[in-house]
Amino acid sequence: MNPESRPLLALDGVCVAYRHHEVVHDVSLDVASGEVVALIGPSGAGKSSLLRAINFLEPPSKGRVVLEGAEVGGSRRSLDALRRDVGMVFQSFNLFPHLTALQNVMLAPVHTLGVSKEQARERAMRQLTHVGLAEHAHVKPGKCSGGQQQRIAIARALAMEPKVMLFDEPTSALDPELGAEVLATMRSLAAEGMTMVVVTHEMHFAEDVADRVVFMADGRIVEQNAAGKLMRDPQHPRTQRFLNAVRNR
Amino acid sequence: MSTILSELAAGIPQTIGITLASFVVAAVLGLPLAVLRRSEVWLVRLPAVVVVEVLRAVPPIVWLFLIYYSLGSTDQVRLTTFQAAVIGLGLIYAAHLSEAYRAGLNAVPVGQWEATRALALPRRQMYARVILPQALVVVVPPMATFAIALLKDSAIASVIGATDITFQAVQLTQQDLNGLGNFTVAGLLYIALGVPFALVARGADRVLSRRLVGS
Ligand SMILES: Nc1ncnc2c1ncn2[C@@H]1O[C@H](COP(=O)(O)OP(=O)(O)OP(=O)(O)O)[C@@H](O)[C@H]1O
Ligand SMILES: [Mg+2]
Repeated sequence: MNPESRPLLALDGVCVAYRHHEVVHDVSLDVASGEVVALIGPSGAGKSSLLRAINFLEPPSKGRVVLEGAEVGGSRRSLDALRRDVGMVFQSFNLFPHLTALQNVMLAPVHTLGVSKEQARERAMRQLTHVGLAEHAHVKPGKCSGGQQQRIAIARALAMEPKVMLFDEPTSALDPELGAEVLATMRSLAAEGMTMVVVTHEMHFAEDVADRVVFMADGRIVEQNAAGKLMRDPQHPRTQRFLNAVRNR
Repeated sequence: MSTILSELAAGIPQTIGITLASFVVAAVLGLPLAVLRRSEVWLVRLPAVVVVEVLRAVPPIVWLFLIYYSLGSTDQVRLTTFQAAVIGLGLIYAAHLSEAYRAGLNAVPVGQWEATRALALPRRQMYARVILPQALVVVVPPMATFAIALLKDSAIASVIGATDITFQAVQLTQQDLNGLGNFTVAGLLYIALGVPFALVARGADRVLSRRLVGS
């Protein structure tokens, strides 16, 4: 296979189980470099579980995760290498409350990547500026709005200069207005060519920003297609039912 | 009263010394015990559980006798009463503190651990930079309580001959038979020595919780 057609990230027959109870069944998914993939589906479909399997926060019970052609192994070293390349943004931000925004963003470049303090500070300021929060650098997360906190969390992940960014419902904990500023940040990231996998309930975001939408239900991929096509013309009855229910809400 | 005080004051350095040294030993050893006890691997967890439970199940005075008269008086090893007391009380309080640490670690939200894992932070940095500063807020109040309990338990060291406040009071009473006066003053001394611990704990608690929320 030539490198052009090789996906940046490939999931191959991935299963996720909690105490032997399997909730994601045999999912395979390729993500190309620069592609934005939206994962949608009803609650309990296994979207978060699948996303968390990608960076082994939930190690797959079966199947393979392949990043740039290299299969991720179970060793600590292999996991660390994977996680350096895969940024994650959580629904509940998970910022470190005792550190300032700048310290939050600098922490991993310094201690995970071994970047010098000065360089890490520069890098962190660049990312905070990137998400429009340079003036909040010395403020602790507790003093920031939810939308600002999530943008700091995005900056924190970006400061690792990851190859892929994972988002798990990044706006679900936010008022629509604050969610909008986070979505705007993500939109510009996508425009800059960042590879992204986004679990979302924001159908407009999925339709407008994603290149491809993947619909999951009951732990499986039911249907996937180019974003506009899947949203306007779903083929599978399960997808139609879900999209109707969401639109009529 | 003042003569009693000046006699008993000779024991203050030992009491404070044993208390502080044991507390340092306990504070340091308690941490690995707590971390091991939270392991997901039962083979790692089990030894930590056994150590903690055994340390807490046997009365402190028995530990001190055991350490001083057996382990500490072989041909190879000869412990002073101070050393024996610090080892014994240090280990016992390491077990107590490990439980306080464990509660503190459990109080740090899952999302914080996950964020450090997603960022591939090395384990040491994870604890030092993220987890412990947050756990500390929960741990400081019980730590202060244990420090005061340790101060009181340090009196047990007098039975193996450590020359602390209680030891001095016993000696003095054997001479002047004024048990009431001597032990009343001893009691007051322990109360007075406990006050700084309480104040330090309070101050630390306030500073830590402010650091965690404010900017
Ligand atoms: N830590 C866990 N332990 C046990 N079961 C879990 C755990 N996390 C998720 N599950 C179960 O796995 C299934 C899939 O959950 P998951 O969170 O992946 O779904 P989701 O599609 O992200 O749903 P939502 O839209 O509500 O976030 C659900 O049945 C859920 O109850
Ligand atoms: Mg979810």
